[in-house]
Amino acid sequence: METEVIEAELVLPNYLSFKRIQMYDKYPKGQSRGRHWKHLKQIIQAENYQNYPPDEPNYVNIESPPSMHPCKRICDITGYEAPYYDPKTNLRYANTDVFKMIRALPNDNVQRYLSLRNAAVVLK
Amino acid sequence: MPFISKIERQSDYNRFSSSTPIVIDNGASYFRIGWAGETEPRVVFRNIVQRPRHKSTGETVTIVGDHDPALLKYFDCTRSGPRSAFDSDVVFQFEIMEYILDFAFDRLGATGSEIDHPILITECVCNPVHSRSKMAELLFETYGVPSIAFGVDAAFSYKYNQQRSVCDKDGLAMCPGFATTHVIPFVDGEPIYKGSCRTNIGGFHVTNYLKQLLSLKYPYHLARFTWEKVEDLKMEHCYIALDYVSEAQLFQKGMKEAEEKTKMWQLPWVPPPVEAPPSEEEIARKAANKERQGQRLREMAEAKRSSKINELENELRGLEFLLNQLGHFQESDIPSFLAETGYVSRQEVESARSKVVQSLRKQKGEQPESEKPDVPSNEKYTLINIPDDMLTAEQLVEKKKQLSLKSMSDGRQRLKQKRQEELQERVRKERLEEEKHSKNPELYLEQLRARYKDLSEKIDQRKRLKTNGGSSTNGNGLAGSVGRGERLNAAQRERMRLLATAAFDRGKGEDTFGAKDEDWQLYKLMSKDNDDDDEEPDEDTTELARISSKLQALDPKFVAAGTSQPAEAPRARPLTKEDFQIVFGVERFRCPEILFSPNWIGVDQVGLDEMAGVSIRRLSCKDEKLEERMTNSILVTGGSSLFPGIIERLEAGIRMIRPCGSPIKIVRALDPVMDAWRGASAYASTPGFYTQTFTRMDYYEKGEDWLRNYQLRYSL
Repeated sequence: METEVIEAELVLPNYLSFKRIQMYDKYPKGQSRGRHWKHLKQIIQAENYQNYPPDEPNYVNIESPPSMHPCKRICDITGYEAPYYDPKTNLRYANTDVFKMIRALPNDNVQRYLSLRNAAVVLK
Repeated sequence: MPFISKIERQSDYNRFSSSTPIVIDNGASYFRIGWAGETEPRVVFRNIVQRPRHKSTGETVTIVGDHDPALLKYFDCTRSGPRSAFDSDVVFQFEIMEYILDFAFDRLGATGSEIDHPILITECVCNPVHSRSKMAELLFETYGVPSIAFGVDAAFSYKYNQQRSVCDKDGLAMCPGFATTHVIPFVDGEPIYKGSCRTNIGGFHVTNYLKQLLSLKYPYHLARFTWEKVEDLKMEHCYIALDYVSEAQLFQKGMKEAEEKTKMWQLPWVPPPVEAPPSEEEIARKAANKERQGQRLREMAEAKRSSKINELENELRGLEFLLNQLGHFQESDIPSFLAETGYVSRQEVESARSKVVQSLRKQKGEQPESEKPDVPSNEKYTLINIPDDMLTAEQLVEKKKQLSLKSMSDGRQRLKQKRQEELQERVRKERLEEEKHSKNPELYLEQLRARYKDLSEKIDQRKRLKTNGGSSTNGNGLAGSVGRGERLNAAQRERMRLLATAAFDRGKGEDTFGAKDEDWQLYKLMSKDNDDDDEEPDEDTTELARISSKLQALDPKFVAAGTSQPAEAPRARPLTKEDFQIVFGVERFRCPEILFSPNWIGVDQVGLDEMAGVSIRRLSCKDEKLEERMTNSILVTGGSSLFPGIIERLEAGIRMIRPCGSPIKIVRALDPVMDAWRGASAYASTPGFYTQTFTRMDYYEKGEDWLRNYQLRYSL
């Protein structure tokens, strides 16, 4: 390894004296160990929150509810207030100039703009 | 830049007795570790791990936190990007967490066989017990930690600010963080998690939004928008507008204030070398060169022509000689004589001769012999006007022949006449336009241009319609609305549809195909030749071509739309300074605005201002005095509260949802980023801290249910 890398102590050493179990003992090299961790969704599933009283706060029920205010619609391209909506691309737009632009956009970019607000067509 | 990593290895680890707790603020963006009782954490770094491969040795190494990018050139980082142990503030990848803790303890200077210090580590509100127990397990088993306490970062920050009289014992802590935003109500100095709420929006989303918007706006500079750079831009330039709509209107109308608020980032740009205009000599030399080349080409063409003429003349002479010879022969001897030459009869030789004569004339540039004018006499058609019954059978046949001949020649005549008329019409029009031009050239040009524009738009429109098809040609409206940029044009699509229905529609009910004659038309529609791609240029196209040629002749500035490829044009333009400018206008306040309007990025939850109302409602204390006390002491902490303008905006927003006249006071934490660690450090140094920790024995004896209900008391 290059000297400047060693000097900067960039790389985490394999052996650390203060550990009871070293990384290489815990996760031996060359063994496939599959996935040994749960996704957040799986964690929440395993918590079985439905078995506990609903007024007890937990990770799921402290989530905020949907907003009661009317949602502000903004132009997907410029960020201005968007009174219009293009049924062909599903994009919201502010004025005719933007409309001309979105009609000229390639489909790829339209989908990227839509995916910004999680409205893109997801192919499965 | 507010965030700077501190990763020097500490040397005074052994100075601290084993009763001094180690305090860790394990945030989703930054990891901070230090000693209880101190005011600053010892080691701070970004909470990420990379596992690249060393380029020369090929071994996989672990790199924790942010490092000098110059050193990373020795590693192949393409396969794995930086990874975080967090998902929405919950630690779920403990292998990564272990690398991070390894690095943190190592940089804190840890020696000896285990970490013999109590640990206070932060977690999110209502951390799932799985994550909590895994963390406890990791610390106990792997590092040999004697005892642990878990606390919430926002609560520590609130307590720290409460002790400094920034806020009261009843209040709200609002904490827009990196991955989530929390609001926690405090009553009597204790957080009430029942009233807390969480929206999954934070600084990460703001940066990501900005990054996406910029890369969509400036696709050419995509490589410039690295995560780190965009994060810097966000921290330096983003602010929260007091009223988004009116602020956006400023920009839309192009007001002067908006111009002042627009920031520009000039990317490095080197002006291209200016080419000196060619000198007189150069021009002369080039012209001479061109002339010489033209001369040579002309000479070549001339030589080719004369040799061709020669050849033709030789052939003609040969043929004439042959004909002469033929004159001397008897009719019966001709075939045998001609057998050698390859001709069959005298007529053939004659026709060959006339062909050669024709082409010779053409070569010499003479007018081809004009068609002999048809004798418009009726003498040729002698039998036409005689009634049938007066003719013999032979004559009848002859009459039929004459009739058809006559109609044919009549048709030719008519066509000719029509052509003549058209020509005259064209000439007349030309003259008219010429007149117009000479009368008022400006107006005339203007009219031409307008007409050109109209026509080209019309043709474009037709072309587009042909490729996309009207919405009516599509059977289902949905496919029509989604399908932009399809590969098939309308006709091809229709054909595919016919084929598909033909393939799958059989067998349903009685097959009546073929009962009607129209049914067979289907095959005609299906056949490939049906594509009318190669349709003749219609009237509009010819007119367009005519106008564009006229415009080209009259208007030196005119460029026909079809002739200059639009894709070619921008490339030809030299890149200017402006092409390397990244302009932030609306983006400056559009991106952080998602903290207040999460639905802009598709998160259907309340924004920051409404969260205060939700939190108070959830608390349902039915005590107006308490509610008033709470809104009178709202503390904003967390990294994303650093945006300028957030306090004013929150105040306006919360005023809207609270009853009229209720007192509202919103303050920013002394240091929104560091206060959580400082509060935790102060907390861990109080003597009561040990009543709140649990040991390994406790953990194993009391079990998971106990750990679920484990909660720190913040007021000691």
